[in-house]
Amino acid sequence: MNLKLSHWPFDTVLVANRGEIALRVLRTVKKLGLKGAVVYHALDRHAPAVRLADRAIEITGATPVAAYLDGAQIIAAAQSCVAGDRTVAIHPGYGFLSENAAFARAVEAAGLIFVGPRPEQIERMGDKVRARGFVHQAGFPVAPSAVEDDDPPTFVARARAVGAPLLIKPSAGGGGKGMRIVRDLARLESEIERARSEASRSFGDGRLYVERYVENPRHIEVQVLGDAHGHVLHLYERECSVQRRFQKIVEETPSPALTPALRAKICETAAGIARSIGYRNAGTVEFIFGQGGEFYFLEMNTRLQVEHPVTEQITGLDLVAEQLRVAAGEELGYAQADLATRGHAIELRLYAEDPARGYAPTTGPILRLIPPQGEGVRWDGGVAEGGEVTAAFDPMLAKLIVHADDRAQAIARARRALAETVLLGCKTNAAFLGRLLRHPAFERGEIHTGFLDAHPEIAAEPPLAEATVHKLLAAAALSTRPLRDVADAVPDLYAALGAWRN
Amino acid sequence: MQHVFKLGEHEYQVALSRARQGYRLHLGERSIPVNLHREDDGSARLTVNGVSERVHLAVRGDEVFVHLDGASHTLRYVHPLVRLARQRHAAAEDEIRAPMPGSVVALAVQAGQSVTQGQTLLVMESMKMETTIIAPRDGVVEAVQVDQGQTFDRDALLLTLAPEKTA
Repeated sequence: MNLKLSHWPFDTVLVANRGEIALRVLRTVKKLGLKGAVVYHALDRHAPAVRLADRAIEITGATPVAAYLDGAQIIAAAQSCVAGDRTVAIHPGYGFLSENAAFARAVEAAGLIFVGPRPEQIERMGDKVRARGFVHQAGFPVAPSAVEDDDPPTFVARARAVGAPLLIKPSAGGGGKGMRIVRDLARLESEIERARSEASRSFGDGRLYVERYVENPRHIEVQVLGDAHGHVLHLYERECSVQRRFQKIVEETPSPALTPALRAKICETAAGIARSIGYRNAGTVEFIFGQGGEFYFLEMNTRLQVEHPVTEQITGLDLVAEQLRVAAGEELGYAQADLATRGHAIELRLYAEDPARGYAPTTGPILRLIPPQGEGVRWDGGVAEGGEVTAAFDPMLAKLIVHADDRAQAIARARRALAETVLLGCKTNAAFLGRLLRHPAFERGEIHTGFLDAHPEIAAEPPLAEATVHKLLAAAALSTRPLRDVADAVPDLYAALGAWRN
Repeated sequence: MQHVFKLGEHEYQVALSRARQGYRLHLGERSIPVNLHREDDGSARLTVNGVSERVHLAVRGDEVFVHLDGASHTLRYVHPLVRLARQRHAAAEDEIRAPMPGSVVALAVQAGQSVTQGQTLLVMESMKMETTIIAPRDGVVEAVQVDQGQTFDRDALLLTLAPEKTA
């Protein structure tokens, strides 16, 4: 990073987010010599990001999530950070307001800088239906589909004509909400109604579309990066096929499914799509990848992704620093040919959830937290010992990222790092992740988005070995006052006598 | 004195006594020499049958959290009074509790209303999915404990049904 501090048009970056991503953005902000600010809801008062920030501003809302969605409050907080002749940039992280064009516009109108794409680019890609129409017209591959808005009265008939299996999706959706697979067309209408109800409630917009569902597809996405001067590059792919309920759990790069020729093709397609809208900022073009090597445009996320660290590990780039440079109006300053990758990176998402109970979320205190350490091990966490996991927010606690020379070594490193991770007080999916990393099909890279449904043994908790049960009972008995007090109340002589019985 | 720990779905009756060195864990017919030594760094050395290994422990209320050999486990100490109460009172079906943390999407019934088995009582959202909570039996809703939009933890009391009259 050759930028001198005096060249930045902003001297403060306010993070409009929480958890691990707020902490991760602030780390880069401080590394660049800029001031870091963060907004927070009272529930996050003691969060690590709030402690690291130079300035933390409390925001309120009807619910904790509503506070982080309140653009006016966040802009006011950013304005309160303006001092001197330089302005303040707002980094939205992911989720919340990160893909809200109205918010991006309001930020710019307030004389602040939005760390992201231009508002019209968010709009073009944010509406999934318009995005696929645009991408299709630009000559890139999309899956066969039917869009309700094209002619609402004939939507069901047109959906039926696409043929089973189908995927119903909300036009305004994201993150798997309201998505339904239909294999039996007799259930099409009832599933459409159910999807509409979920979509209306989640997004305030019940419009739907359906597309052909590719059976056992892989989810492969490509990181792109564009500046304000028309340069758009790709930073290679990430494979995110291991999912539950359409939500990613494990991401890696390179994808074990791609040959060099296919990698070049899918990465170039993604860069082409981003280039066709003159994309500015870090973004991700997602594809559905069929078992035969065919791929279709799925959607474009106009923000930093949760799984961006694996790309950082193999490219050596700091994507948040790149976002900030682009937001400052800098040119990327390097070409596609300058971007080499090294090794293999895997990210595991540590969730507060119980895979054996249908991945139901869990809550509880973080009584003990010892993140893993060592070469090639990165921990992007947002919780700290003494914190509390509540039902108010997303259940992701942290991301464990490993980097090694090849995939096999990365898996081995991930297993070791996971076993070293101590998190006590709240049930997590750590043991499940360990079983996943040991699964032969995963080791062979034979994964698809239905992988966990096809292998329910990974989510099921195996019975404990008898010796393990004895150890656990011993540890628990020796840590529980009533048991220890009773034992200690018996004089040693009697204890010695008592042992005769055995 | 026998104590009970719940580990997963199983309950284990155990007792602890002093030995010349450390303690003995009594489990059924077995008596296993055990000891626990706290280290300065917050971890502990657990010795079972003469073999020691490093563990991490945390206790809160009746719950004991143990990180052992790369995995975390939770044990719950079942207080003797609770066990007693549980044996006498078997009206769990009167209480409709949350199967997982979430929030109330829609309330389908109100206090005083008669319901039939399988009828929707409320719709909750968790994991970005809707889950319908249904009546476990015919009866009358005694009280609704939650409001629309309210968030709750797992096992939170959502509704109660009036106790069944014994004929």
